[in-house]
Amino acid sequence: MSERIPKGAAALLTALLLCAPPFYLDAFWLRVGLFAMAAAIGAVGLGLLTGTAGQLSLGHAFFLAVGAYGYTWLAGEPGPGLPPALAALLAVLLAGAAGGLFSPVAGRVRGIYLGVATLALVFLGHHVLLTADSVTGGFNGRSVPALTLGGFSFSADGPAVTVLGVPFGAEERLWYLGLALLAGTWWTARGLLRGRPGRALAALRDSETAASVMGVDIARYRSAAFVVSSMYAGLAGVLLALAFRRVVPDYFGLTLSVDYLAMIVIGGLGSVAGATAGAVFVTALPLLMTRYADQLPLVATPGTTDGGVGPTEAARYLYGAAIVLILLYAPDGLHGLVRRVRARLRPAAPARTPESLPATSAVRAKEHTP
Amino acid sequence: MSARTSPGLAGDRRPAPPPALRVQDVTVRFAGLTALGAVSFTVAPGSVHALIGPNGAGKSTCFNVLSGLYRPESGRVLLGDTELTGLAPHKIAALGVARTFQNIVTTEGTVADNLMVGRHVLTRAGFAASALRLPGAVREQRAHRDRVREIAELTGLGDHFDTPVALLSYGDRKRVELARALCLEPRVLLLDEPVAGMNGAERARTAEVVSAVRARLGLSVLLVEHDMGLVMSLADEVTVLDFGRTVAHGTPDEVRRHPEVLRAYLGTPGADPAPAAAPAPGEDPV
Repeated sequence: MSERIPKGAAALLTALLLCAPPFYLDAFWLRVGLFAMAAAIGAVGLGLLTGTAGQLSLGHAFFLAVGAYGYTWLAGEPGPGLPPALAALLAVLLAGAAGGLFSPVAGRVRGIYLGVATLALVFLGHHVLLTADSVTGGFNGRSVPALTLGGFSFSADGPAVTVLGVPFGAEERLWYLGLALLAGTWWTARGLLRGRPGRALAALRDSETAASVMGVDIARYRSAAFVVSSMYAGLAGVLLALAFRRVVPDYFGLTLSVDYLAMIVIGGLGSVAGATAGAVFVTALPLLMTRYADQLPLVATPGTTDGGVGPTEAARYLYGAAIVLILLYAPDGLHGLVRRVRARLRPAAPARTPESLPATSAVRAKEHTP
Repeated sequence: MSARTSPGLAGDRRPAPPPALRVQDVTVRFAGLTALGAVSFTVAPGSVHALIGPNGAGKSTCFNVLSGLYRPESGRVLLGDTELTGLAPHKIAALGVARTFQNIVTTEGTVADNLMVGRHVLTRAGFAASALRLPGAVREQRAHRDRVREIAELTGLGDHFDTPVALLSYGDRKRVELARALCLEPRVLLLDEPVAGMNGAERARTAEVVSAVRARLGLSVLLVEHDMGLVMSLADEVTVLDFGRTVAHGTPDEVRRHPEVLRAYLGTPGADPAPAAAPAPGEDPV
């Protein structure tokens, strides 16, 4: 119980640190942070589906697109032109509904087979985004209406806001929106994971047979996990759209889905913190490499053709290498790595909490069926 | 889903005796192989009924039919007046039939996490309530966790309550499965080789737990076990299967002397009347 107070203090300190960047960093860094926060929300959702429920999904980009385009259409012109906050909420629900429509498949198809089935969603989604011009704007996409909340606009168009001498533009304002949404994501996802649904999903991941004889309705829980994961993706899509200020179809391709898978694998399957860490890594790496390309050896400056590797490619190589290294040496991802380092740093502490123990893998005994 | 209340939360009162579990002419075939041929027996309310037989006799197949994992080709399984045949496994669990597995099947996480899975049918909190941590969900979780701790104490896992299952010894992990099944507050408990692979002390401890929970919770137990010492000391009735057929049925003493049983176990009629621990435990491939 005595560990409670430092834990609360640590959380408070983290919150303060996260609130500080808009006062010190320029728009570039804030944008990196925003993309990372949006990705983290999506990755937490995918982590719930893949890490906890053991269901592979390659369709995450589709649900991100539903969220992003859903918001843009609902709040924009052409479109119903709803109040942006309502449009954002409806976009999340829309993504959930899209996941629900897919649930006859998501509830019955297991693991890697679901991954292949969801592949279809990405291609379908991309095709629709390109062809449904009136809603999506076709190849060129659409510009995203700014979010307003009770008269406060999350863009630079509204009345100027200056806090402690720092003018708050779109990035600064969105930063706090992103933080709030990410905090909400953490809070709800951890509530889920530590509650009855999370335990049921983990049980069915580790043994479908055992979970069903414990009373878990397998198909229902699989579908529900898919729907919840889609809703987080939808929320991430809304935030991404706000950060980009323009949605284009080519962004929501298969690569994006694979990026999300990479995030949760790099971060560590089945943990909210891991998914966040993975999201920050995968999102920030290419952006930072592009920015500092001129200072990195072997990396060409953007726009030049003097041999060398372009920054985007270099970032891809690096993160490919990171995945291989992590799979080889830390299969439980960054989250597991941190946990083990922490355990090693305080060897005297008795193994009381699961966090302080070395990573343990599930006991996956052969299922009892002939 | 279930009209059952959770008796444990109301204290340590002794619930009404469970309904009888009747297996009637159940037949299961796998591609021409008859795993169970018209097997019938009844687990009397509150009794310990043992199902024994050599490897491949159909004991585990029988368990899989009872818990809804297999659908029999013909025959019925009844719990009281409710027909179980054709129900999905989770519906059977909700009716109060819990089981353990021959091979340990646990979930990643602590003993507490695993046991809480056993409370699934007795709890309500859904995705929305848990995500938003609604007071009802939080309260429910706390109450059930208290009861789960009691069950952990009862099964001798109290000290390991917050230990990850993967770090436990084999015998303790096996007991986690037993405790998890008890967390369903079952009316009928199906135990598939609860002491297979355990050493003597662990066996004795598990036997104690089984007789203790039976006495305290008043449930019926159907037991598959190769350890004849355990079967003889715990069981009220024994059904012997061989090649999917019932070869004998009766009290432990009657069965022990049954010529068919001796032949099935020892291959020679009229040999040693007390087959100690027949085949190697824990290797039943079915």
